Amino acid sequence: MSRIPDDIETRLREAAPRGVDYASSTDPHGVTVAWAGLADREELLSVAQLLHGLGARLSMISASQPPAPEDEEEDDDGEAEEGAEAAAEEAPAPVSFGGTPLDGTSYELAYHFDLGGDTLTVVAYLPAGGSVASLTPLFRTADWNERELMECYAVTVRNHPDPRRLFLDASIDPAVLERLIPFSTLVNAASTKGLWEKIMTGHAGAA
Amino acid sequence: MNVLSLLGRNLTQGPYTEPFPFGPAPTAKRFRGRVTFDAATCEGCKICERVCPAGAIRFSKAKDGLAFAVWHNSCVFCGNCEFHCPTGSVHQTTDWHLAHEQARKYAMVEFGLIPNQTCSECGATALATAPSLRGIAPPLSAEEAVTLKSLCPKCRARFLKARRAKP
Amino acid sequence: MSTVPETYTIPVGPLHVALEEPMYFRIDVHGETVTHVDINAGHVHRGIEYLTTKRTMLQNVVLTERICSLCSNSHPETFAMAAEQIAGIAIPERAAMLRVVAAEVKRIASNLFNVALLAHLVGYETLFMHVMQVREIAQDIKETVFGNRMDLGAICIGGVRYDLDEETTGFLVAALDRLVPEIEAIVATYRTNGSILGRTRDVGVLTREQGLACGVVGPVARASGIAYDVRAVAPYAAYDRLPLEVHVLTDGDVWSRAMIRLAEALTAIDLIRACLRDLPDGPTRLAETPDIPPGRAIAKSEAPRGELIYYLKTNDNPQPERVKWRVPTFMNWDALRFMLADAKIADIAIIVNSIDPCVSCTER
Repeated sequence: MSRIPDDIETRLREAAPRGVDYASSTDPHGVTVAWAGLADREELLSVAQLLHGLGARLSMISASQPPAPEDEEEDDDGEAEEGAEAAAEEAPAPVSFGGTPLDGTSYELAYHFDLGGDTLTVVAYLPAGGSVASLTPLFRTADWNERELMECYAVTVRNHPDPRRLFLDASIDPAVLERLIPFSTLVNAASTKGLWEKIMTGHAGAA
Repeated sequence: MNVLSLLGRNLTQGPYTEPFPFGPAPTAKRFRGRVTFDAATCEGCKICERVCPAGAIRFSKAKDGLAFAVWHNSCVFCGNCEFHCPTGSVHQTTDWHLAHEQARKYAMVEFGLIPNQTCSECGATALATAPSLRGIAPPLSAEEAVTLKSLCPKCRARFLKARRAKP
Repeated sequence: MSTVPETYTIPVGPLHVALEEPMYFRIDVHGETVTHVDINAGHVHRGIEYLTTKRTMLQNVVLTERICSLCSNSHPETFAMAAEQIAGIAIPERAAMLRVVAAEVKRIASNLFNVALLAHLVGYETLFMHVMQVREIAQDIKETVFGNRMDLGAICIGGVRYDLDEETTGFLVAALDRLVPEIEAIVATYRTNGSILGRTRDVGVLTREQGLACGVVGPVARASGIAYDVRAVAPYAAYDRLPLEVHVLTDGDVWSRAMIRLAEALTAIDLIRACLRDLPDGPTRLAETPDIPPGRAIAKSEAPRGELIYYLKTNDNPQPERVKWRVPTFMNWDALRFMLADAKIADIAIIVNSIDPCVSCTER
């Protein structure tokens, strides 16, 4: 009883001819969660137009900067393939669907659309310094989401009608989520070594 | 309901508020308050330290054993430690009387020590943690449990292996 | 010959006696009428989203509960649902029912709190204190059954952390029996009292079309004729097996939003009673705390204020790679521009309160 049209995959491929990585699953309650990765982020707008026509609601946009996959040193022993090491040396740098390098500097923008309770997430991949078209002219609800992701990451959203900061003050350096913020700074030094020394000394003094 | 009926109700029933501090404030049995620690039943698995979201629990090596400390001023009273503790050694009491003077803040600690002991078998020095009894079949007798606790980890493993080997 | 300008710009907030939480509106007024609203956010931005990627999954169940106090149960519940989706876990039936009980107890308290504040803003202090006192019954349930007045600690990945025994069930049943007549009397008052009606009818109207454009959710949507309730359209826990009534009104004014909240408080009691009636024996959680494999998931729930959505991405680390959530207020805030258009200055606080804004949730 999915509210996502049965032929959505075909329609997505028509809207994004460069390629769509589609997957969907339905849980025992009958709620469907579908994912559509785009090979070309420039096709995002036409996909969004398709979903707008289907009456979808843009529920949320999640931006992230996926870390580079860790080098797997152990070649699973057992099947000792000849030349496995040579192949590993030549192995191309990992890329996400569509060929965006997955080296820890690229971005993943996930657009979560609600279709009567089911969720279709369209994923656009951006290399460092990349930009993406704004969906705000189509979906009013994209406005704040796009403003937020622009202040969290060094991502440019083109044609945003009001690209001001949302939550962070203009005086704060951009791309806050791309910077390493020491854990102790973030949590105000709670649970650091210095603090625990005082606690343990306080205990010894009381005893 | 109108103002007059509410007024009448308040006049006949008196104030809704508790008389605290002049009378007792009722506290629910399940209230999550001050944390206590029972070193005698602790297995030393340190899961409480790992699941504490506030970093309020710390195990540290002491001269005479393994020290447990929870600082109530970092604690968020979520109960994750008690929930994940396999032995119930960490427990949240219903005591909510945690107000204190600023000068006493570092004393708001619940402290416990798992002492070192001399292994009754090999004489090595090891922590007197409670042995993990889950999955031991048939269950240990009381004397066996006492013996097991008095052993070092190596001798405990040997003891259990020998016990399994018995017909 | 007046030299006084006709248009003023007035600040409302960030700290304002009538606003629960810090938010700042720059409002242009012509005479007493609002002509333009600019919203300035970020006063309680705390970086929790970043912090979740530094904590383990088990720690995050507690951290997400502390994003916001009024929807504190919805956050860990939805976070756990996302984790369970990735791990392919189905929670035990008793756990599903107990999750509903926890969520609906929170809904009663949260909705009554908002409706009480409405009376306060109208200036009817006796009613305000009375509704807060009725809410206190729900607070006592939380303290007795869960151990805390706000952060229930009811949720764990794979089920629930609490269980109902004879004593707590008895307390819960008795408290619900006391709540029903009280809430019914409150409903009658809000339906008939002249002070309430005069300040809330046809005030802060949001039409269905405007609501759809803003993507509003929760009672704000349902008061504008948008019959969207996550519990009905995307059921989770045990909601597809319970007598859930979705309340919809069409006037889209402050009064309709308050009436929806009161009706949903009564429905919440029906849901809890149905759970207590059908509560099966059995485990309340999985025997082992599950490991969450690498993956991604979307989970949604109906928090007291509306749809809460979580996006979770995990990798091989014990910490999640990315956690992102969007709370109801994030959507509903935008609708204030429509509700406040042409409103009177005196009604600003009442209209803002009618979306039940939760700023700490929104800004994270």
